[in-house]
Amino acid sequence: MDEEPERAKRWEGGYERTWEVLKEDESGSLKATVEDILFQAKRKRVFESHGQVRLGMMRHLYVVIDSSRTMEDQDLKPNRLTSTLKLMEFFVEEYFDQNPISQIGIITTKNKRAEKLTDLAGNPKKHVAALKKAVGSTCLGEPSLYNALNIAMQTLKHMPGHTSREILIIFSSLTTCDPANIYELIKTLKELKIRVSVIGLSAEVRVCTILTRETGGSYNVILDESHFKELLMLHVKPPPASSSSECSLIRMGFPQHIIASVSDQDAKPSFSMSHLESVDEGPGLTLGGYYCPQCRAKYTELPVECKVCGLTLVSAPHLARSFHHLFPLDAFQESPLEEHTGDRFCQACQGELKDKSVFTCPACSSVFCTECDLFIHDTLHCCPACIHTQGAS
Amino acid sequence: MASEDEVSLLVIVVDVNPIWWGQQAQREPEFNLSKCLDAVMVMANSHLVMTRTNKLAIIASHCQESHFLYPNKHWKAGDVAGDEVSSGSGDGKYELLSVANDLVAEEIRNLMARTQVKGHQTDTLLAGSLAKALCYIHRVSKELEAGQDMKSRILVSSWFPFSSAVYFCIIFVQMSMGIFGLIIYYILQVVKAAEDCALQYMNFMNVIFAAQKQNILIDACVLDSDSGLLQQACDITGGLYLKIPQKTALAQYLLWVFLPDADQRSQLVLPPSVHVDYRAACFCHRNLIEIGYVCSVCLSIFCNFSPICTTCETAFKIPLPQMMKPKKKKLKTAN
Repeated sequence: MDEEPERAKRWEGGYERTWEVLKEDESGSLKATVEDILFQAKRKRVFESHGQVRLGMMRHLYVVIDSSRTMEDQDLKPNRLTSTLKLMEFFVEEYFDQNPISQIGIITTKNKRAEKLTDLAGNPKKHVAALKKAVGSTCLGEPSLYNALNIAMQTLKHMPGHTSREILIIFSSLTTCDPANIYELIKTLKELKIRVSVIGLSAEVRVCTILTRETGGSYNVILDESHFKELLMLHVKPPPASSSSECSLIRMGFPQHIIASVSDQDAKPSFSMSHLESVDEGPGLTLGGYYCPQCRAKYTELPVECKVCGLTLVSAPHLARSFHHLFPLDAFQESPLEEHTGDRFCQACQGELKDKSVFTCPACSSVFCTECDLFIHDTLHCCPACIHTQGAS
Repeated sequence: MASEDEVSLLVIVVDVNPIWWGQQAQREPEFNLSKCLDAVMVMANSHLVMTRTNKLAIIASHCQESHFLYPNKHWKAGDVAGDEVSSGSGDGKYELLSVANDLVAEEIRNLMARTQVKGHQTDTLLAGSLAKALCYIHRVSKELEAGQDMKSRILVSSWFPFSSAVYFCIIFVQMSMGIFGLIIYYILQVVKAAEDCALQYMNFMNVIFAAQKQNILIDACVLDSDSGLLQQACDITGGLYLKIPQKTALAQYLLWVFLPDADQRSQLVLPPSVHVDYRAACFCHRNLIEIGYVCSVCLSIFCNFSPICTTCETAFKIPLPQMMKPKKKKLKTAN
């Protein structure tokens, strides 16, 4: 077997004295401690920057959702399956927000079989609709890790080498029923450079530990629902690309958006190519849209892969969304409020500095409050003061 | 109609680049910065008067800094009565408006007096002003009472010439607080017209995406020439883009087109949306291309295939045609 050093399991550690965390002050109120805890919760996310590591921007991710009997357990409200599907909807939206040129596919496994819920696609709407519909499905039987991984592998092995191939498994059962030796499959996955990560809902399972270790993914077990959300969000950021992924120039098209009104003489209504396959959409005849520059097929939304000629169609803002991964913003330095000698004003929002620590940008030495620091790192991805100093230089 | 719990925050970004305004003064002396600010103040006052709970912020965008003209960080709302501020304007104007007008006038005078244009940086820092506006909106939204909604918009009016231009950015951030859910619409009206270097472009796009995520509308009011970046910004966030044919009628355009907030705009006949060019420009020649090659590592766009990416210097694998194995042909027999 393997020589992995056994780390201490949770039941082997000492008692946690959670009541000692709360401390009362002289007047008997817990306000200071509560504020402290809230503050720590805000800062829990560690902003690790990868530095100059190459990131895999174009990702093909398969999410395997366990739909076995254990998903009806009610430790996550209302039951595990509903909670998971809801968080998955949020995950899909965030994923396409951060990685606009990537694709997701969803697989469910139950009753010793696995089946694809949605194919690999770059449009979030289809996935969200499928997830909403799946809330009513029944959970029965045992999951099958082998079958789920097999289905995912069949598609992922044909993907081009410069993209990252990933599988994320949400595994709640403690057993799996496989038709063949799963260790052989793990070897195949490793050769195909597919990275598998697992989020466990019940407990740590040995086969998952080996699976993630061999393929280079991560394995975590959730504590509660908010922890589940945090773990899911960790997978939204693009992972560092493995050294063996090839870099190539990808041919892409940038179609123009043609807006035609009814009064236009030349405007002719036509079908969009994406409507040919879907059955539950409306009539589908539209006047304007995006025309593929190579074969003039029409599409209503981007990004999409042209069904006729195979060209990937994107628009420039989609690529621009990924830029902040390439130039990540450094974490700000935290310092206590008492040491700050200048004006007690946050330079981004013009508010007064009331929290107990202030944050300083290492590049331009401007001071920000806690809320602005979170906002800048999560949403804005650029320091407002640095923009001014860059422009003036 | 807006109820007591609807707060509408309008952030106006005013571009006060002295170089452009100086050029403008020579070309058309009848439209100068003070007239422009008058139009802005008319719009700001109208906004404040529309509903009691409307809020306002004005940012002046200069080529070296962005300065909050209103509200001033040293001025608190409670200081209106008394003090050296000329309280009780003689003509019976609404106290809030007269204070706001005086404050803005004083601040802009200080700003123009103290900054000196150094170096060769002549472009207004629009992205920086927008970033600060977003942070301000974020802070105000956190300070809302429970049950209040906020809608915000940013109105930017700027000159967007392709050389150095004065950006007159009026960011109207209207925050409307509605009782139906905490929805914050930020409208960023940004008008920008000028060519940006790559870093400015990236910061600008970051700000645009942040605004879209926070549901803040960006409206743009271009005074001189069209700006592709601002058109994209308005398209992405759902705001209005307008190029003003006559600059002297600025106040009219602002009041008619940009004063109504997002809900009311569907009922009005507004200028039609502009066709936005989303084609990318290649990194080697800066031409707009329809089909290009994208480096998978650094996402730079090229018009021709080249074995090395010039930005990140990665060597690419050249796709060769696959070797076909020679098939064994069956010999045809004679009969």
